[in-house]
Amino acid sequence: MRRLFVLPTSRAGWGLLAAFICLVVAGTWPVIGLLNRAMLVLGIPLMILWSYAIIFACVGVMLLGNRIVERDDHE
Amino acid sequence: MNSVWPLVITLGYVAITMVIGLKARAGHRMDTLEQWGVAGRSMGPVTLYLLIAAGSVSAYTFMGAPGWAYSKGVAVFYVAIYLAYLALVAWYFGPKVWQFGEQFGHVTQASAIADRYQSPALGALAALVMAVGSIAYAVLQTVGSAYILFVMSGGAIPVWLGVIIVLGCIAVYLYISGQRAIGRTNAFQGALMLVVAWAVGLWAVHSATGGLDMGAVFERIQTDHAEFLTLPGARGDMSFSFWTTSIIVSMFSFMPPVWTQWMCASSARTIRRSATWLPTYYIVILPMVVVGFIGIYSLPDLARADTVVLEYAMANLPVVLVGLLGAGTLAASMSSSEPFIHSVALSTTKDVLQPLFKLSDAFTAKLARWLLLPVMALVIAPLAIAEPGSLVMILLVGLGFASQVLPAFIGMFFWPRASKLGVMAGIVAGFLVTVAFTTLWSHPLGIHAGFWGLMLNLPVFIGVSLMTPATQADVVERFFRISAPRGFKHLGKSVS
Repeated sequence: MRRLFVLPTSRAGWGLLAAFICLVVAGTWPVIGLLNRAMLVLGIPLMILWSYAIIFACVGVMLLGNRIVERDDHE
Repeated sequence: MNSVWPLVITLGYVAITMVIGLKARAGHRMDTLEQWGVAGRSMGPVTLYLLIAAGSVSAYTFMGAPGWAYSKGVAVFYVAIYLAYLALVAWYFGPKVWQFGEQFGHVTQASAIADRYQSPALGALAALVMAVGSIAYAVLQTVGSAYILFVMSGGAIPVWLGVIIVLGCIAVYLYISGQRAIGRTNAFQGALMLVVAWAVGLWAVHSATGGLDMGAVFERIQTDHAEFLTLPGARGDMSFSFWTTSIIVSMFSFMPPVWTQWMCASSARTIRRSATWLPTYYIVILPMVVVGFIGIYSLPDLARADTVVLEYAMANLPVVLVGLLGAGTLAASMSSSEPFIHSVALSTTKDVLQPLFKLSDAFTAKLARWLLLPVMALVIAPLAIAEPGSLVMILLVGLGFASQVLPAFIGMFFWPRASKLGVMAGIVAGFLVTVAFTTLWSHPLGIHAGFWGLMLNLPVFIGVSLMTPATQADVVERFFRISAPRGFKHLGKSVS
């Protein structure tokens, strides 16, 4: 068992890992720097709107993850 | 404020919480840690959702977050983002932690660490240092609770009495119903906070703009105070690097009460279902933050930014809503402090006193319940009444430690080769750096002290692990049958 590291073992698992990384990247620099403008979209500051977009994207990715986990039938 | 209604409503909330906490026992015997510690691993998805959500939304949401909006602006939303990321963390790790607990009998985070590395000393170290941060956190929440009672009573309930009232209530239902009380009261508090936050927020918007459109508030801020709508914020202290590293460090801080809450679920699937919807709860932050933005132009000279919602409510909102705000804020602080108080008593008894004095399981379960009382009466209450200036510093150091335990979890979930000495060396190195960069040289180059700690911690952890003996193979295999049920991938090749 020496030197082994746990990584995804399926294409769906790798996709999910990529989605998780994209979500984290979306909420941190440099992406957050691109959205750092004092403008309103639909009456809401862009930074707040982006924060909630990330929050709901997290829900979407986890819903997708549930389908994958339950389809593959393992916890 | 002359009306008696705010105090009546706030005390009414306290009474309802007491009843819910006491009834939560529902005939279960609380003489085992399985029951008192993790509620017999019985919680369903809705209770678990509200338990974790209310536990993570502290008085910060009702006082601190609007205060940040008032003094810095949109920088406050780093909290909402990291809370959503914590849901991802719960989604991935929670079911595995639940399986560890169910199969190996763990009821605390430190038990899992001690078991994985076959080191009661490492478990005890983790339990003790986590207890420092947990107590500081519980004290801050208790101070917030007592302050609310002070304000709602128009000064008739002094802070010391408020501390005794709040801790007395929590002590009674925690002793009697344990984790079940936390689950039920947090569910009630979580629902209450959501309703109160939106009611207060929308009423405040209406009183400030004449309508219910939050856009009108933001248009005014954009015109007169545009610096509040971008980083680094109005005070210029939330740089991109601090935003990013604060989120990363907070994401990897596995706090002990949250770990215990995962183990309270009725199944691994329950945790996944709850975690999936957890981010939706964080819409509770938005209305409170909007009141902070309203305060920028309507209350420009506040001495304390974190009183902005209370000050605005008392000046502009009906007394019933002020009372509900008091109840909601009290709910936020109580729902956050009680899991930490419970966790300190549970983990200190299970992971420090039991191995040290070779106590039986039955006596350990009894002792954990009794330990609540000295923890509250001799530590939390005096600190909350005295409010030492170093409290926030103690909290920061405690939270700094929480992020430095990351290697212990890497060895539990990802890397079987991690050794006990590697974890210890990494934690000590990271902790020293974090303490130095919190107390002596605060967040150098605008990077969070915990992030600096991790930058030293992780290489030390890997290096020392490779140079020292790994944990015995049967223990590692036992853990990794859960962490990696489909085997491992190494250099693209599957190994089972």
